Amino acid sequence: MAEPSGAAGEPGSDEPANRSADGTGDRMAALTSFFRERPRLRTLAVAGPPYGVLILFFAIPLLAMLVVSFQTGEIGGPWTLSNYTNFLSSETYLSVVWKTLVISVQVTAIVVVVGYALAYSIVRFSRRTTLLLLLVILPFWTSYIIRMYAWINILQSDGVLDSTLNMLGLPAVSLLYSEPAVLIGFTYVWLPLAVLPFYASLTNLDGDLIEASKDLGAGPIRTFTSVTLPMTINGVVTGVILVFIPTFGSFITPRLLGGTNNIMIGMVIENQFKSAFNWPFGAAIGMVISVVVVALLILGTRLGGGLFETGGEGA
Amino acid sequence: MSLLHVRGLTKEFGDLTAVDDVDFDIEDGEFVSILGPSGSGKSTVLRMVAGFEEPTAGEISLDGADLVGSPPFERDVNMVFQDLALFPHLTVAENIGYGLKQSGVPAAERRERTERMLEMVRLEGYGDRTPSELSGGEQQRVALARALVNEPALVLFDEPLSSLDRKLRQHMQTELQRIQTETDTTFLYVTHDQEVALAVSDRLVVLDGGRIQQVGTVEDLYEAPESKFVADFIGDVNAVEGRVTAVEDGGVTVDAGTGEVRVPRDAAGDVDVGDAVDVCVRPFQVRVEGGERADGGDGTFWTTGVVRNRSYQGSDSLYGVETDTWGRLSAEVRADSFEIGESVTVAWDAADVHLYRREETPASEPEAA
Repeated sequence: MAEPSGAAGEPGSDEPANRSADGTGDRMAALTSFFRERPRLRTLAVAGPPYGVLILFFAIPLLAMLVVSFQTGEIGGPWTLSNYTNFLSSETYLSVVWKTLVISVQVTAIVVVVGYALAYSIVRFSRRTTLLLLLVILPFWTSYIIRMYAWINILQSDGVLDSTLNMLGLPAVSLLYSEPAVLIGFTYVWLPLAVLPFYASLTNLDGDLIEASKDLGAGPIRTFTSVTLPMTINGVVTGVILVFIPTFGSFITPRLLGGTNNIMIGMVIENQFKSAFNWPFGAAIGMVISVVVVALLILGTRLGGGLFETGGEGA
Repeated sequence: MSLLHVRGLTKEFGDLTAVDDVDFDIEDGEFVSILGPSGSGKSTVLRMVAGFEEPTAGEISLDGADLVGSPPFERDVNMVFQDLALFPHLTVAENIGYGLKQSGVPAAERRERTERMLEMVRLEGYGDRTPSELSGGEQQRVALARALVNEPALVLFDEPLSSLDRKLRQHMQTELQRIQTETDTTFLYVTHDQEVALAVSDRLVVLDGGRIQQVGTVEDLYEAPESKFVADFIGDVNAVEGRVTAVEDGGVTVDAGTGEVRVPRDAAGDVDVGDAVDVCVRPFQVRVEGGERADGGDGTFWTTGVVRNRSYQGSDSLYGVETDTWGRLSAEVRADSFEIGESVTVAWDAADVHLYRREETPASEPEAA
């Protein structure tokens, strides 16, 4: 606790230091000792601002959403449970939730498999690790929307994909506005996000453990399932969370690439706020979805958590 | 036929020849150490036997079967890694049973053999712990048990004891010898630590610069080292520069700058008249006497000097003496004999020396401590 005292004193020290530029050395020293003697205040000075931001822009809006979701028609209307009962008793909406879940699970599965293979090949087989990682992250430099429009260009009828297939003498597929298009779009967008935690956990994996496993008679596949995967399950769980949650709430990708047959729940919520102007209903759906996702998350970390404890860095 | 048979083993990494035409054999039940300074290629030899590196040339056979080209998981060889490489996500029992599981041993037998192995390494009741809950010495035992439980033809050790403190290391050395005898397994141990190698091995393979310097029993290497490198690496040695002035049947006459001394023929080795030689002698064979000596007498190398430093070693002390003609020498004598700054005479018998023809480029030769 004694070590970071200098840095810890800084956020609070700005004010008095600015007021009088003279004798700042003394004042700094006084301030430093002031904070050193009050460790709780020091912690507050460091941790306070981020918590303030979180409360202001996350906790309060969430609370507002919760309040609104129990009102009727418009904000400030009488209290009711009808938003929830309407949503949960509507087969149409529930089928959208189901579809969203199916797509999210598929996307997560594809991204985990492809991303793990990619991260594994970067770590195990390549010497140009930094360059390859840079290439993986490169798409982040371009706006999400622009990249989605690029995919429209590629996937649409007579687009880049179809004309390439034509040139090769293969039939056109015109994938745009289909479920495969949505899966492709999501996979493309989230892949880098998953590769990074996979890469991090794979580089931490001690190569001696792989050799020890082979030395003890395990072939490559057995070594992968009994050493490599358990030892990196931490990174896999992180990757799953990073992909699954944003996919579940996504509305841009399915709208741009999925057409009218691939409605996801994020699109329904967006519609309630922006077109139907039924904020209470949108808020209720949002709350239900949040609860579902958090429940899945807790379930997931519980399952992975057992592995977390023994699969961490260890000795 | 010996158990492990290595012939012409060579490994090149790009331009670097890490292992150069290495030959040696290990008999069934032996404890053999490969001893060499860091970078001598000893670990590379071990890794080629284990199957982690493919040799550039040469052959390795185990029990008559060629090993080159077969993957590590098909070799009847198990290794104790330098950093042990225990699986942190598995319990001690699961670590030990890992190899048995891979070879399809049923769970009941696996448990029974794991238990027996835990007993062997004196870790009864530790099966359910994880490796991180064990001390360094206990982890060593688990690593050893994990290798031995598979009953391999040969167990390889990549200096696993080097991370332990001296006391624990010495204890583990005797444990290794006990376990080797009890299990009747063949051990190949790689180390840079001559103390460990001398303590545990039946035979030593001394490696330097990827080449074998000498193979033999501990006594062979200590008492009849074939080169100055081996003499210096296996125990300490003083080297004095001299020139051969005569070679006869009974002995070789050497002038080391203090007059001619006759050295018995069997200590002299293969030298000719006019050769520049290193006259090597162990510190414990050097005598130190107070005051000035009138003459050396026959068959004795001697000179005068001043005691410069002293390091206490229990009943003996190691004295550093700055001599008039041979630079600094070390002598191991009774602990309380001399003061620093005292003028003394140092001497040793010609029968105790070994002569080695001096390398052409003595300047580039590193001084081993």
